[in-house]
Amino acid sequence: MSSPAIEAVGLGRDYGPTRALDALDLDVEAGALVGLLGPNGAGKTTTMLLLATLLRPSRGTAHVFGQDVMGARTAVRRRLGLVFQEASIDGLLTVQENLLFAARLSGLGGAQARRAVSEALDVADLASRASQPARQLSTGWRRLVDLVRAMLHRPDLLILDEPTVGLDPEHRERAWRLLDEQRRERGTTVLFSTHYLPEADPCDRVVLLANGRGVGCDTPAALKATVGDEVLEIEGADADRVLTALRASAHVRLTIKTQGGYRVGISGSYDGPASITGAGSGLVRFVRRPATLDDVYFARTQRGQLTPSAGAQVEVSA
Amino acid sequence: MSATTAVYGIVARDLSRAFRQKSRLLGGLARPFMWLLFVGTGFNAIATVDGVESYHAFVYPGVLVMATLFGAMLTAISTVYDREFGMLRLMLASPTGVSAVLAGRAIAAMAIGILQGGLVLIFVPMVMSVTFAQLLAGVAALILGAAVCSVLGLLVAAPLRSVENFAGVINLVLFPLLFLSGALYPTDRLPLALRGVARINPVTYAVDLTRGALGQPTEFEAARSVVVLVATMVLAFALTMVVFDPEQRFVLRRQRP
Repeated sequence: MSSPAIEAVGLGRDYGPTRALDALDLDVEAGALVGLLGPNGAGKTTTMLLLATLLRPSRGTAHVFGQDVMGARTAVRRRLGLVFQEASIDGLLTVQENLLFAARLSGLGGAQARRAVSEALDVADLASRASQPARQLSTGWRRLVDLVRAMLHRPDLLILDEPTVGLDPEHRERAWRLLDEQRRERGTTVLFSTHYLPEADPCDRVVLLANGRGVGCDTPAALKATVGDEVLEIEGADADRVLTALRASAHVRLTIKTQGGYRVGISGSYDGPASITGAGSGLVRFVRRPATLDDVYFARTQRGQLTPSAGAQVEVSA
Repeated sequence: MSATTAVYGIVARDLSRAFRQKSRLLGGLARPFMWLLFVGTGFNAIATVDGVESYHAFVYPGVLVMATLFGAMLTAISTVYDREFGMLRLMLASPTGVSAVLAGRAIAAMAIGILQGGLVLIFVPMVMSVTFAQLLAGVAALILGAAVCSVLGLLVAAPLRSVENFAGVINLVLFPLLFLSGALYPTDRLPLALRGVARINPVTYAVDLTRGALGQPTEFEAARSVVVLVATMVLAFALTMVVFDPEQRFVLRRQRP
């Protein structure tokens, strides 16, 4: 049986007195698409840098395809493709020179490097921009160059720190098309972080971090199910009364206080209209919709209160 | 071999960057000639140095080393730039490791140092008469000096995190290295403390070696200067390896049984 793509046990990192990552347990099977979600400062980048061998763990262990990230750095790095939060592109070099530089860094030399660069330019629709200095590219194209740069040496695991941040929908679509092709054709494992939560919907697994701790790890569907079958958004003067009525008549699994009211996760059947009309009509907003990863995110990482009886306290453990 | 390929990639990139920053490159090329013209000509009228035909001839090897020193050390600024703007992380995450990254950077900085010093050396017949053998010895001294200066530049740049910091620190380092090297005046008449500093300044030995190569009187044996310069280079490279990336240092320690 082949080794998992990522296997972390009690992985943690401190920066002086600050505990950036507490003790993360994580198993990612080869070929999976895994989203790492959490607020700024949750420990996402630290997790990625630890797995990328760029930080030493303060505690715990991590293996990439069975290789220890501390003891076998070179072997791990050969199988990794990395995209950092800031594009690693040299503005003084052309697109082609940037890619050639990255190919050589990965150990591809001569004709092999040129072939890899040429293929990458074609795949990413960058051929017409190959001779353009990178500083003249838009943010979107720079990010795409960065993405294909990470794939030049055909890595088995891509670690992408907010790969689509700042991209317009067109470039975001291009970026995901590239990643989908890599996964489909090569079975590449992808671990990525994002603040654009719908991007995590197609994931095989989503890992939620908050304050350096794992606060959820499951499929998107399973995570959504923990906040309820549907979510009600209620706002207005009667929001508190409606919430009280809902709690009396339904299985409320999630309550998030919003600026003008509440976001309420409900499980099972409930007497919806009666609850609302009985509590008053002073609502300026009432929306019924399916649960989203946004709800899960708020519930696990910030303001939400998950009903303890719902058993929603998911530990990120092996 | 992947390390060689990576080193080649880093050198090619650094040289491309250096040649595209034309104003910086031209400034570096013009600097030594301005010193020769303004400082050399000014002091030529009032200063004489024992055993040398003119102050111009005396200062010439010093200016040659100065051109090399500034060229090589300032090229190391790209290391700080890369650290600040994320390119360094890309290099450190490559399979090649810190030593290959540093070697690539050092070779590129050395090449720029040789270019800037070499341009000064071309004009040697206008300042003093030298034999072909002396010219070849001068080239060898130039190469060794550039190698040492490039590694010293990396050592200075290694712990720095911003380009602004580098600009401040490099001035604190470059000018003492230059002024206490015997490049512009003999150090044997300096106060004892400053003379002591000059003795531990590696640039002193680069200047003395160059001076000797071009047929001028020297303070040290050429062999001694070569040994000091090579030792400085090896030590500075090792120190740079340690300072450059504390995370890697830890890994190196852990990997040993």
